[in-house]
Amino acid sequence: MSIDSIPVRVAAIEAVAPMIREFRLEAIDGSLPAFSPGSHVQVAMPGEQREIRNAYSLCSDPRETGSYRIAVRLQEDSRGGSAFMHSQVSVGDRLQITPPANFFAPAWHARKHLLIAGGVGITPFMSYIPELERQGADFELHYLYRSSQTGAYRDELMHRLGQAFNGYDSDAGVRCDLSVLLSNREPGSHVYICGPESLIEGVRETARALGWPESLIHYEAFAAPEPGEPFKAKLVRSGRAVEVAADESLLEALEREGIEVPNLCRGGVCGQCVTSVVEGSVEHRDDFLSADEKASGTCIMPCVSRAAGNHLILDL
Amino acid sequence: MQIDPSIKSRPTYQAPMLEEPAGLQLFVCQPEARGLLEPLYQQCASAQAQWVLADEETGTEALLASLQQMLVNVPVSTRLYVAGHEGFLWDVRNLALEAGLVDEQIQLAPPVSRGRRLFCTHCYTLMEGVEASPHSCSGCGRLLLVRDHFSRLHGAYVGVQINAEDPSELPEQEVLQ
Repeated sequence: MSIDSIPVRVAAIEAVAPMIREFRLEAIDGSLPAFSPGSHVQVAMPGEQREIRNAYSLCSDPRETGSYRIAVRLQEDSRGGSAFMHSQVSVGDRLQITPPANFFAPAWHARKHLLIAGGVGITPFMSYIPELERQGADFELHYLYRSSQTGAYRDELMHRLGQAFNGYDSDAGVRCDLSVLLSNREPGSHVYICGPESLIEGVRETARALGWPESLIHYEAFAAPEPGEPFKAKLVRSGRAVEVAADESLLEALEREGIEVPNLCRGGVCGQCVTSVVEGSVEHRDDFLSADEKASGTCIMPCVSRAAGNHLILDL
Repeated sequence: MQIDPSIKSRPTYQAPMLEEPAGLQLFVCQPEARGLLEPLYQQCASAQAQWVLADEETGTEALLASLQQMLVNVPVSTRLYVAGHEGFLWDVRNLALEAGLVDEQIQLAPPVSRGRRLFCTHCYTLMEGVEASPHSCSGCGRLLLVRDHFSRLHGAYVGVQINAEDPSELPEQEVLQ
């Protein structure tokens, strides 16, 4: 990992839902940097073929110094990251993480915060809630989960939040009606969504149809890069060529070859890894570039996007 | 009118367009600007559209006070269309932001007059309807250069003393664009 990575020790592991484990990470030397609500870290995991790095939201109270907590859901189609965390990591093990970064901070000036979590998407809100409480902010949590798989922390949250807690267990047939949730809200209400793409899209569409201004809607999805066709990336500046396998991202392939590209979210939202394209057409899969930039074909977000053909020539 | 492109802060205005869907369409204006919003109002379903007008007697202050009360209970999907003098436009916009609205929901029509609100950077006095520069500050008497630099917070152009080195120097007044 990059030079500013932090070595940590796994201090505790706890099953917080059938498919979710929580890991408490302690600094090995010195202390851990402070973080703001909504922050995440990248965790480097040695996979079978290559190193995998995933971003995980910190799910502890930002005032809780000395350790970080992350919660990892075992993905059925894991590329190795979540499977590694669930089956290979034990208490006492060492891991490398990046310092926290935040693309999902609360809008502190909001008059009301509507937090919508889907499954393991509860994690960033675990760092929001203590701070919102300290500030005396008006908020509601709407938590959609399947009790056979997810639903971490729900008893604790129900107890702690009382009326502000709204749980929807789809395994018990309890559904959340988004249009009811988003109707009749006062000005200054901000909505935050963390969860699967389908939930984020559902909330955004419903809000749009109700006339919500876009800037009141905040969301974050950490998804592993989707696989695609293998292709070759030629690098004009270094004169090298990198083969990108079907199940790895261009960014991962570059890193495997020791070519560092600055990056933070690894999910197509932060814009850090933008790379110039000299030749070749791109299959854009990110949420960062504008439609015009995508159409121009001059840049790519290598964390999620791939070649549309069998090769790309990059300005690296 | 040509605006110096090096002045990033100076607002530009466009005729408002109807934004839908909206839980409430609010048309806020000073009496002399009503004509600017009338066509848009006519396009709205009447149940969702509402005028917020200053009447001749109570004036703009009363309008702002009643708007402030009103915004507490409007839907999050409210749209605001504002017309009047430039300072008024920004007073309404700032009041709406305080109520939790965002710029996306607020459209300001081109101001109905060229008169500028002027902010004296020396004594913080605000003056209305300034049409020429330099302008004598009504607060501290300094002769102010009326800049094109605009403060959204004050809804005003910024004025700085034009003859600080030699106050006996009195540059000729020019009409502002």
